[in-house]
Amino acid sequence: MVQLAGKIGRWAFLLLVLLYFAIPMIAVLFYSFSGRWTSNVLPDIWTTSHWGEAFADERLRAAFVRTVLMAFAVLILDVLIVVPAVYWQRVRNPRIRILAELSAAIPFVLPFIIIAFGILKFTGRIAPEMLGTPWIILFGHAAIAFPFLYWAVDGAMSAAHVVRLNEAAMTCGASPFQILRHVVIPNITAGLAAGGMLVFATSFGEFALVQILAGARFENVSLYSLDLLNNTTSQVEKLAVLTIVMFLVLFAISIGVVYVNRNRVSLAVPGGRAMAAEKDL
Amino acid sequence: MSSVVLSHISKHYGAVKALDDVSLSIADGELVALLGPSGCGKTTLLRSIAGLEKPDGGVVQIGGTDMTHVPARKRPIGMVFQSYVLFPNMTIRDNVGFPLKMRGDSKQAIRARADELLELMGLAQQGDRYPNQVSGGQQQRAALARALAANPSVLLLDEPLSALDALVRTRLRDEIRRIQQLVKITAVYVTHDQGEAMAIADRVAVMNAGKIEQLAAPAQIYDDPSTRFAAGFVGNRNILELRADGGMARLGKAFAVQAPAGSSTVAAFFRPEDVVVSMTGEDQQAMVENKMFQGLLTRLYLVVEADGTTTRIYADLPSRQAEQFTQGSTVNVRVAAADVRVFPAD
Repeated sequence: MVQLAGKIGRWAFLLLVLLYFAIPMIAVLFYSFSGRWTSNVLPDIWTTSHWGEAFADERLRAAFVRTVLMAFAVLILDVLIVVPAVYWQRVRNPRIRILAELSAAIPFVLPFIIIAFGILKFTGRIAPEMLGTPWIILFGHAAIAFPFLYWAVDGAMSAAHVVRLNEAAMTCGASPFQILRHVVIPNITAGLAAGGMLVFATSFGEFALVQILAGARFENVSLYSLDLLNNTTSQVEKLAVLTIVMFLVLFAISIGVVYVNRNRVSLAVPGGRAMAAEKDL
Repeated sequence: MSSVVLSHISKHYGAVKALDDVSLSIADGELVALLGPSGCGKTTLLRSIAGLEKPDGGVVQIGGTDMTHVPARKRPIGMVFQSYVLFPNMTIRDNVGFPLKMRGDSKQAIRARADELLELMGLAQQGDRYPNQVSGGQQQRAALARALAANPSVLLLDEPLSALDALVRTRLRDEIRRIQQLVKITAVYVTHDQGEAMAIADRVAVMNAGKIEQLAAPAQIYDDPSTRFAAGFVGNRNILELRADGGMARLGKAFAVQAPAGSSTVAAFFRPEDVVVSMTGEDQQAMVENKMFQGLLTRLYLVVEADGTTTRIYADLPSRQAEQFTQGSTVNVRVAAADVRVFPAD
């Protein structure tokens, strides 16, 4: 009886949590399909016209493509910098760890707006031609998003015992590049995917740096949304469409990460290794 | 010709001297065991040969070539680690073929060599499994196959059996020796288990505090330890601290041996199987305090009252012979002077 009550309690709690997260998104979704929504729980009139208008908007499509491309570019840049750096720090020079950790703390300690002004000042002094270009956004986003990848990759390398793997690979004649490619990266994919998703999401939804460093010269989805809010009252439904699309993009990436790591997750839980082995046999 | 020559190798970790001017020559096809307690420098020495540690001083030569500053990946070595360290993302076959892949061999050549080694190690059925799908013993055999894949000049084994249970350990120890002799490869084997070192090695280097205390064949180390540390570390031995009177150290009438010159106190070592126990005689009397059956042998714990002091020693006798000695009985004991090793006590 006590067990049943506990089980019901757990399910009820789970349901509450799901509702807490789902209700705002459901409300936005309904709003994006509403022709008129007054004082009822559900819209008075349903319509798909806002979705049609949103996808027909050339400016929105351009902002969306720009945002996705930038997020991918930031992800690639961060992976190219962070993975070799963490590998090097773990196998060759543990003393740089303190510097790396301090750098990784900065985006959490300083508000993005302060970082943006810092980048603006610094770039204005040493490379003013970069101001307003996508390059400054790329480097700025890479700088603020890298800690997410750093912590995930560092944890994954620790869990994979990269130092030992590295030594074993060295005695097999592998160069550092070969070790990274054939041994390290395949063994940290879970951390890489989780951190990579956070980097992508950070750049995808970032507003302050883009606004301060490039403004209208690099209109991303966030700036476009702000413009919708500022300039018109009749296109808030379009903003709802945009919000749903952004949510779906990030949700799809999350599902992808979970799918890619489904076996690795099972290996992390007690008994999971044996279960995975049994399944593979 | 010496396959591995280490000359005056030294290594410090801060103030700790891990290796202190170590020199060692290993002949082609020879298996040398580095034996010693934790922290004696045996693994550091092995890692210096592998290129995983950079010595502060000295020269490492492999096959007559100076390898001191050559990175690990370019040394003609294969290494087996204590914790296997197979690559979890690769199958057993891919693990074995990895050194050949790094060398740029063709896929067919890699497959053929990997299959040949898997056959040799008795892993032909496990080739397509991942490391977490096979047992510890099988993982270590796969690691051995990987280490041999590229036909290295030297095989380095860093406590390869210490993570395995006793039964697998003995079987794999014999297998390692069989394969080492079959492929005629020079090998360096690190262990803290003296039984393992004695069973597997052509020569054993007993290490202590960053130095090689004695380098000799297992039987010689066992029968004739050259230092106090080697005497104490290798084999089960009685260790007694005795006073030297008139240049002689005595345990009553059990034995009298020449003490090292200038020593007032000596440490005397003798093996339990060298203690002769009889019911009658004119030798030193002792009381059987306890008796422990160990299968083929029985260990007698004896209390010796001599020269006003009480001393406890133990003797190993064939179990049939030991039957006549009952607990509490008085017996005669003696040890031949030639079987007692004495060293200055300090």
